[in-house]
Amino acid sequence: MTTCDGAMAATGEVIDADFRTTEGVLALVNLQAQIDGQERQAAAGELDVSGQAEFIELVALRGHVLGCIADYEWAERLAEQVVSDAPSDGVALLARARARATFHRFKDALTDLDKAKRLRTDPTAVDAERAAIFQAIGQYDQAYTIYCDAAERRADFGSFGALATLYAERGETAAAERCFDESRERYRGVSPFPLALLEFRRGVMWITQGELQRARSWLATAHRRLPGYAPAQGHLAEVEASLGDTDSAITRLRPLAVSSDDPDYAAQLARILVGEDEEAARAWRAKAAARYDDLIERHPEAFSDHAAAFLLDVGEDPHRALAFARANLEVRKTPRAYDLVRRAERAAK
Amino acid sequence: MSDHNSGPRALADPVVDITDVYVFPSPEQPDSLVLVLDVFPSAEPTALFSDAVDYRFRVRPVKISREATAAFAVSETEYAISCRFAVPVERQRGGPLVQEGTCTASTGQTVGFRVNDEQGGKARGLRVFAGRRMDPFFFDGVRAAKTVMTGQLAFVPVGDSRQFRQNVLSIVVEVDIATVFGADAGPLFAVVGETAIAGSITVRLERYGRPLIKSVVLGAKHLDTVNRDLDIRDLYNQEDAFKLGTTYLGAYRARMNANLPFWDSLDKKTDWPPDAHGNHPLTELLLADFMVVDASKPYAGDSYLEIERALLKGTKHETCGGRTPNDDIADTFLTMLVNAGNGPRISDGVDGQAVRASRAFPYLAPPELNPPAKIQLSLDKPA
Repeated sequence: MTTCDGAMAATGEVIDADFRTTEGVLALVNLQAQIDGQERQAAAGELDVSGQAEFIELVALRGHVLGCIADYEWAERLAEQVVSDAPSDGVALLARARARATFHRFKDALTDLDKAKRLRTDPTAVDAERAAIFQAIGQYDQAYTIYCDAAERRADFGSFGALATLYAERGETAAAERCFDESRERYRGVSPFPLALLEFRRGVMWITQGELQRARSWLATAHRRLPGYAPAQGHLAEVEASLGDTDSAITRLRPLAVSSDDPDYAAQLARILVGEDEEAARAWRAKAAARYDDLIERHPEAFSDHAAAFLLDVGEDPHRALAFARANLEVRKTPRAYDLVRRAERAAK
Repeated sequence: MSDHNSGPRALADPVVDITDVYVFPSPEQPDSLVLVLDVFPSAEPTALFSDAVDYRFRVRPVKISREATAAFAVSETEYAISCRFAVPVERQRGGPLVQEGTCTASTGQTVGFRVNDEQGGKARGLRVFAGRRMDPFFFDGVRAAKTVMTGQLAFVPVGDSRQFRQNVLSIVVEVDIATVFGADAGPLFAVVGETAIAGSITVRLERYGRPLIKSVVLGAKHLDTVNRDLDIRDLYNQEDAFKLGTTYLGAYRARMNANLPFWDSLDKKTDWPPDAHGNHPLTELLLADFMVVDASKPYAGDSYLEIERALLKGTKHETCGGRTPNDDIADTFLTMLVNAGNGPRISDGVDGQAVRASRAFPYLAPPELNPPAKIQLSLDKPA
């Protein structure tokens, strides 16, 4: 896999816009307004299936942006309910597949997608979701085939964005950069969410590659576009800490560690505070550990990866880390999952 | 809200999702034109306009064409009325967000206003309101969809409108024609509403001419043998209504020529025989997707498509045309499509919104403070 030449050849008009989007706070206010409206409809039991699927997507989007696991859980419950109410509706199954994939229940999600396909649900949407799952479990070639096909049929923001993240995960940064650019240039809209998500993924790619200045630049772009974007802020703090700017990293992380129900922020904060403020580090570590335990119990597939990383690092429990790392490798055979197992094995010796 | 969910992007971002456009001579101010653009379906109290969007009306003088290929001769002269919004601010700690806006005419007039201020802003020749209002649109879209699925008129005597007591974000601009457009402008104008990115390079996101074109006329794909898999509405949205590009013109034409005969067939007789090339007689008229209003005529509550219908008959129009908020445009349009006015009026069973628009600025009814859940009937539910 080098480049997706077919998709590149399918390139059409490119707009050199200035990527202006709705101010982030305003967009979040409107996202909340949309969710409030949909919740009101849903509470009255009068949203049709496509309305419920839209509602679920909005809740999951807010969960991602604000780093709110409770929103993901709510989205999953809503998705289970919509399938329960309309078991033979492909749109409902697609919505549940997305929710299940979020919690790394990939086999269940693929089963839903198979059913959705048999029900003749929009094949483009089903294939896109299937490819995202293939990518998540490390079956990159299968994901690549679907993404290329989509990009050749419609070279747009979404198709190039998907390709970019796949290249990024494979470490093919040159191809990824081209696709990130292609995707960004094709964005037609003012919602900051899609662009901020793309910029965030680009920043994460450069963290993985160890190019921290480039990572910081993209993460800062995403964060400027969407100031409430918790994962961007969290990773920005990670980069700043690695670059020696621990004060800024702590300032960024502290509010997230307090407000978010995702233990990653408390874990990161604990990691930075070790050697600086041992008492605070212990407190944040304890908070993160308790939360990981809680989440592992409820969503073992989804949190074994991050819990293992935490236990290897500030959690100081390499044996449990190894168990979680192996469990993670069971569901997703990605380079990161293999690396995590190797690190845990070394530490456990 | 006739254009809700007109394309994949519009679904994703309600601040650019134009639900409706209205244009009518002012019932209050002589020689003034009222332009209305609605966005944000089912807008909750906290919904706000985007600071990155240019909400605009494009107005061009137009004449009845003497050419056989076009219904209207559209002038190259264009008047643009553009509304932009600032990032909202909290005037008091913990208080509601306050959003200010500015409306600018291409002829230089500018007026500032505050969102949700009933009085709006007023300057020479322009009066502007922006804020949450009750969505004036009404239409039994579910049974229209059932009609498409079953091939049978599925409307019932008492229909249901999903927009019943729902709210939208509205922009209402009252324009003194002589002051803003010039003493010689008009009296016939073509009007389009648009949302565009307010950047250094303006990118059109949505456009809106006549109601129900994108949903009723372009929406169904299964009859289109040329582009059965293509949702052309996103492409259509990005076109200049006054000058369609050639790239996809064939696709739009094919879609209309496929779908318009379907509606004509619903009463089991052909009122719109196609020409030798299979073109439906309404295709070119509807491809010129803008509303036409005669500002020299008085406000009339039920004048939608009257100018076009007179044109098709070869007679002079008698009303202002355009579109007023209370007008039952769905019945008018369905009747035109199904029987060309040669049969009984086709009704969708919904004759108005819960609260009618008024004849006083800002015309649209205040927002419903406790909107009901949307009425979304299952297609399986017996009619």
